[in-house]
Amino acid sequence: MKLGGFAGRILFINLSTGDIRKEPLDTTLAEKFLGGLGICLKLYYDIARPGASPFSAENPIVLGTGPLVGTDLPATSRVYAVTKLAQSKAIGWCGGGGMNLGCMLKNAGYDHVVIEGSADRPVMIKIFDDDVEILDATDLWGKGVKDTCDSLWDRYGRPMGIMTIGQAGENRVIFSMAYIEGGATMGRGGLGAILGSKNLKAIIAKGTKGVGVAKKRRYRAQRDKLLKTMRDYPYLKEWQELGLIKSLPFFPIDLYKKIKKRRLACVSCPIGDKDVVEIKDGPLKGFTTRSTSMINLITPMVYGIKDYRESIKCVSMLDDFGMDMFEFFGVLSFARDLIEQGIISSEQVHDKIEINSLESLETWARKVCLRQGLGDLLADGFNAILNKFGDKARPYAPYIIRGMLPYTGPRGPLVWELFGTMELGQSLDPRGPHVGASGSPTYFARRPLDQFPRHLKRMGAPEDAIKRILPKPDSPEDEDSLKVGRLLTYSHNWFSTLGSLGICARAQINRFYNAETCAEVYSSVTGIETTKEELMIKAERVWNLLRMANVREGFTRQDDTLPDKWFNASPFKNYVTMRPITRQDAEGMLEDYYDERGWDKRTGIPTKEKLRELDLE
Amino acid sequence: MKVFKIEVKPELCTGCLRCELACSEVYTGSFNPSAARIKVVVSDTECSISFTEDCTYCGICVDHCFYDALKKIPEQTEEGGKL
Repeated sequence: MKLGGFAGRILFINLSTGDIRKEPLDTTLAEKFLGGLGICLKLYYDIARPGASPFSAENPIVLGTGPLVGTDLPATSRVYAVTKLAQSKAIGWCGGGGMNLGCMLKNAGYDHVVIEGSADRPVMIKIFDDDVEILDATDLWGKGVKDTCDSLWDRYGRPMGIMTIGQAGENRVIFSMAYIEGGATMGRGGLGAILGSKNLKAIIAKGTKGVGVAKKRRYRAQRDKLLKTMRDYPYLKEWQELGLIKSLPFFPIDLYKKIKKRRLACVSCPIGDKDVVEIKDGPLKGFTTRSTSMINLITPMVYGIKDYRESIKCVSMLDDFGMDMFEFFGVLSFARDLIEQGIISSEQVHDKIEINSLESLETWARKVCLRQGLGDLLADGFNAILNKFGDKARPYAPYIIRGMLPYTGPRGPLVWELFGTMELGQSLDPRGPHVGASGSPTYFARRPLDQFPRHLKRMGAPEDAIKRILPKPDSPEDEDSLKVGRLLTYSHNWFSTLGSLGICARAQINRFYNAETCAEVYSSVTGIETTKEELMIKAERVWNLLRMANVREGFTRQDDTLPDKWFNASPFKNYVTMRPITRQDAEGMLEDYYDERGWDKRTGIPTKEKLRELDLE
Repeated sequence: MKVFKIEVKPELCTGCLRCELACSEVYTGSFNPSAARIKVVVSDTECSISFTEDCTYCGICVDHCFYDALKKIPEQTEEGGKL
């Protein structure tokens, strides 16, 4: 049976042997795991050897796009990669707005690319329709992300999808990322380092095969309805013009408009969020860069950089090296504190660490990236620093979950004191403290509870679950009035749905989709008739497979870490009552999550009954 | 017959390729940017929007542009065309 939406082929590339083969996509994979993220996980689970270390040749990378990618449904361009990650040593995904890459891969005729083995020299993978080659990339090795992309576009022309790493990935910096066309990031958990360990500098894709849908008339009706809703959205223009600055107004709009050169969008996205900016004055006049968003470019100001122009230059530098900003600032601040305490001898450190100085940050970014001096240790992340300096260093360490810095928290980089699904989700994500999969109505502070049912229905939560999540109408308000743990179950299922179909998970996009619409478009695109209820079961299956993949690696409830510092000074607050969250409260939320999932509350492992119910035995 | 010309504003284009997707679907039956009759190439500093010789100026690309980079300019002539 030829499915719509899917290209129908999987590309297997072994970098050790040079073997390249193309295999048909097994349609039962699509029927059970939807596509995209779901099939990536299933392929990884079937191929990988349990226990393989992240940097070994036995750790494959499975890339993939969902069945909606390549169509003109709005904002359907996501690309996912599943691998064992460098930071958490867990199996997880890295997802990025696909820019051109997702559409091009699909048009080249592949839903997934499985990369196995490890090359003995720098290489890149060229995927131009049926012409697939492993090419020497010695001339690109040592280049930053921007130079690599520009070199490849000069050589092969635009439009062309590119995934690449910078020097940080080459040198296995544990928080290095992969970049899609320099504008979208993948893998704060260290995908860049995994690519680097395989000597794989870049993947480029072009295609001319086209993407068809199974039921055209039905598809067009659903698409037009979605587009009309977006066109009628009263804030559409503001979102298009301001992006994240609209909801996070941390930068003067007039100034933003002055430096904004262009907004960029992933293929099919009506609300593009990538920014190209040009500094208009001062010593950096004329400096131009692209970024995932303007908010990203000014984040170093949180750490003390005063001049927004220096902040832009700093982020651009880190992006070019190809490493995560939060982890970089985190390990650097930690090292500075250890030097101040005399735990790291200042005699070993010739260059002073000044978090608010562009010059110092440039020096240290280079040291980390190229593994020079103390930078070699910092490149291995928090756990390596703690292992080296032991208990005397621990009091100065920031919040850490699975070796990484949580995004949000009372003293995190993004100060957020309410404990909602995104905060709890940082403990339950096998990749480490990411927030992207844990969205829910708690994303916005103090949203009235009577608005929750509408959002929960949109996310595919059934009526009985909504009753369990929200307080009964006649119950007194107390600390358990909103079951954040139970709610998080449906955040994860909703994210699994979006990720497996290929829809962008950003709040300003996924607000236009709901579970019913997803089931309708999945059915019309693929030809696999799927109800909303069936869709959500498949999404649940995907999340359970993710858990089982990590259970197979030895992860249990003990790894769902709740950092002590969340409950000490300036603790998180209950989303509804604003009372401080205790460890006992948070442990209760974890148990609620396991219970709602049908997992063993003691071990955090899916029960046999649940696995049988989901046909995952 | 009331027809129109297509005005292009490359400075507003984000490279989303919705125009190419729509065009290719109408004329080839599948979503295939390489087969579209409108060609968009975007970099950080430049954007070019052009039309192939096969373009009939049907305007489907304009209908799918969300960023006002393409616009129909009505005029009373017998032929459409790009401004």
